[in-house]
Amino acid sequence: MFRYESLEDCPLDEDEDAFQGLGEEDEEIDQFNDDTFGSGAVDDDWQEAHERLAELEEKLPVAVNEQTGNGERDEMDLLGDHEENLAERLSKMVIENELEDPAIMRAVQTRPVLQPQPGSLNSSIWDGSEVLRRIRGPLLAQEMPTVSVLEYALPQRPPQGPEDERDLSERALPRRSTSPIIGSPPVRAVPIGTPPKQMAVPSFNQQILCPKPVHVRPPMPPRYPAPYGERMSPNQLCSVPNSSLLGHPFPPSVPPVLSPLQRAQLLGGAQLPPGRMSPSQFARVPGFVGSPLAAMNPKLLQGRVGQVLPPAPGFRAFFSAAPPAAPPPPQQHSPGPGPHLQNLRSQAPMFRPDTTHLHPQHRRLLHQRQQQSRNQHRSLNGAGDRGSHRSSHQDHLRKDPYANLMLQREKDWVSKIQMMQLQSTDPYLDDFYYQNYFEKLEKLSAAEEVQGEGPKKERTKLITPQVAKLEHAYKPVQFEGSLGKLTVSSVNNPRKMIDAVVTSRSEDDETKEKQVRDKRRKTLVIIEKTYSLLLDVEDYERRYLLSLEEERPALADERKHKICSMYDNLRGKLPGQERPSDDHFVQIMCIRKGKRMVARILPFLSTEQAADILMTTARNLPFLIKKDAQDEVLPCLLSPFSLLLYHLPSVTVTSLLQQLMNLPQSAAAPAPSNPHLAAVLQNKFGLSLLLVVLSRGEDLQSSDPATESKQNNQWTEVMFMATRELLRIPQAALAKPVSIPTNLVSLFSRYVDRQKLNLLETKLQLVQGIR
Amino acid sequence: MNYMPGTASLIEDIDKKHLVLLRDGRTLIGFLRSIDQFANLVLHQTVERIHVGKKYGDIPRGIFVVRGENVVLLGEIDLEKESDTPLQQVSIEEILEEQRVEQQTKQEAEKLKVQALKDRGLSIPRADTLDEY
Repeated sequence: MFRYESLEDCPLDEDEDAFQGLGEEDEEIDQFNDDTFGSGAVDDDWQEAHERLAELEEKLPVAVNEQTGNGERDEMDLLGDHEENLAERLSKMVIENELEDPAIMRAVQTRPVLQPQPGSLNSSIWDGSEVLRRIRGPLLAQEMPTVSVLEYALPQRPPQGPEDERDLSERALPRRSTSPIIGSPPVRAVPIGTPPKQMAVPSFNQQILCPKPVHVRPPMPPRYPAPYGERMSPNQLCSVPNSSLLGHPFPPSVPPVLSPLQRAQLLGGAQLPPGRMSPSQFARVPGFVGSPLAAMNPKLLQGRVGQVLPPAPGFRAFFSAAPPAAPPPPQQHSPGPGPHLQNLRSQAPMFRPDTTHLHPQHRRLLHQRQQQSRNQHRSLNGAGDRGSHRSSHQDHLRKDPYANLMLQREKDWVSKIQMMQLQSTDPYLDDFYYQNYFEKLEKLSAAEEVQGEGPKKERTKLITPQVAKLEHAYKPVQFEGSLGKLTVSSVNNPRKMIDAVVTSRSEDDETKEKQVRDKRRKTLVIIEKTYSLLLDVEDYERRYLLSLEEERPALADERKHKICSMYDNLRGKLPGQERPSDDHFVQIMCIRKGKRMVARILPFLSTEQAADILMTTARNLPFLIKKDAQDEVLPCLLSPFSLLLYHLPSVTVTSLLQQLMNLPQSAAAPAPSNPHLAAVLQNKFGLSLLLVVLSRGEDLQSSDPATESKQNNQWTEVMFMATRELLRIPQAALAKPVSIPTNLVSLFSRYVDRQKLNLLETKLQLVQGIR
Repeated sequence: MNYMPGTASLIEDIDKKHLVLLRDGRTLIGFLRSIDQFANLVLHQTVERIHVGKKYGDIPRGIFVVRGENVVLLGEIDLEKESDTPLQQVSIEEILEEQRVEQQTKQEAEKLKVQALKDRGLSIPRADTLDEY
């Protein structure tokens, strides 16, 4: 571009003067541009073509008026708007002296003319007036509704017509960004999120999306010689039987039923290679009846439901399999459900019961709905009430001129994405609630089928296909001819940006608050880790079922190991030490999640371990009660504890009771006031636990009279103390226990006399009648 | 036509009249014309409905393109039951006036509350200033 004799001539210093010099050279440089001023520039042809096109514009309002008779008002508005926009844009490009050009004058006169704004353009680009005219030429050609314009234009052109276009295209400026400002980044013709066209055609899309000059595609592919006349409505076209248009080489994913898109393509197909409409272009085609696009969809669902879906290529392959199975009739004017029905019926053999991606229940639902719709349509014919509702809906759809703006293809595209999101290697992990819900449903329906003789649906087993995990070996981006690899970090290849070193702070520096906070955080972390272990352990049962025989011992070992680690986490095991303090456990129990977790872990622990937990809880109960005041989660521990109690021997129960009531070791010692017990009794959980313990003790005593006397004695002693304490506690502020065991009366009757028994009864509300 | 039964797919809702509640509290009613995988919506012949008490007013808005993340919920409107409401439709000016009045009373109540708390030496931390970690 910069024509310097040698390197030395290049301005090396990059100060402002040099740049200005460059700027001045712009015009010189442009002169060397072949496309605009060189051999590509031929004057004669384009002017003629341009004049012809200008004539077209005069014809166009007429053509449009014709069309409004058939089409909707809105389409007319669309076109009208379009022309006005076009006019604005054109006039903005016009530089004043251009108005003398007769071709332009004629063109501009047909529309309301706005004032030219020369200032809006960057003069260095738009300097050449010839450039401007040439730009407008192809622009006019594109912005018209392509149908009428080109079909008028083409026959009139001299035989070198295609060459003209080529010349035009070469002479037109190369693709520019949408804004006239130099240096703005190139705009993607097709925004990244748009659904893929069958084949992306940047040129045509650009014509729509950016109204700037663009290479017009050179010679057309074989045009259909419009055997049906220029102005057939889409519906008419479709209803033509055996039309050669159907032989259009559409990509296999589009069914033979002419979707609105295809009709539009047919109309505009004269110019384009097939299948290259962008959705936005489609919007200009007159609104048409929302014909049932049912053809693909049930097929899609059923087949898709059964299909393992690898990424896109496999999916498309599936699509191509679908259409041959169901050749729907071409006529679209039967009542809406008609072809729908036929499609559905023809799809039954396609049904694949062996693989289910979603769930067999889904297919059942689908069948049900299909059957429903069939029933409704039968009743519709008989003018049933339910049918009428549906038919009014159908009518509404038919009358809605804006229906089906979203093409079938686009709908499929979205649902394809959604289906891809459902693929998973481990559905239980990814989609737990869904799986469980449908298992429940299945069990219910299986139960029902066993009982009653309901219509027997297919009994399919749920086999969720596992998508193979593809190992993507990440290969870093490499440019040709460069040395080494780019170190660009991306989602697949994350790189460490900051070297953050964790420095542990010394204990002295911290304030008390920080220490407390850190400790709490550590506890939270431990809870989280233990919870993960718990979830794994809970999952083992399911895994047993799915695994092979050989793997099971290994699984069992793993499970045991995890249970041990859970317990160690709970009790804060330090290697090589006894468990000196309950502190760790108590910390966990102070947090609501910790309590719930302990409740869930208890069933998995061994008896000793669980008893240990229970003892620790009892020992620290007042503290825990205090901490639980806000959460009130302790009662969730009640049931696992009760369950545990029924496995505990008498000795343990005795000591447990002691702990719980904070009873002194010997009966003889004078009993001071017992705030521990008071706290326990005033709390729902505490009181309930106490009662359960008492009940258990009573059971043990009464069931096993021949136990060791020592144990008996101990128990009796403790009971004496217990009753003493209970009698001392004032009645007010006793909590309401979750449940009151029934054998307490007999329990107490052994240890106290009548009078005190009555007292106890009333106090603890042991007798049912009082409550 | 059954797209993915058992899932929340919007495909079957296309071309039907919907009521959409946005995160900023607006209520839009329009025909759902197009969606994408993010649940971005294109609403046609949209009307913004303002509710104050038992009254409501409709402001016609045309075409709306709503970014999916801003939708709180949406649901199909049964066209036959649509007119079956105990609410009373009023003009736009009136409903806007009512809305303004409602906003005003709310603000005043809030002010009083904050003042009362301040008098007692308390303050409610606002959500944006909460900073735990």
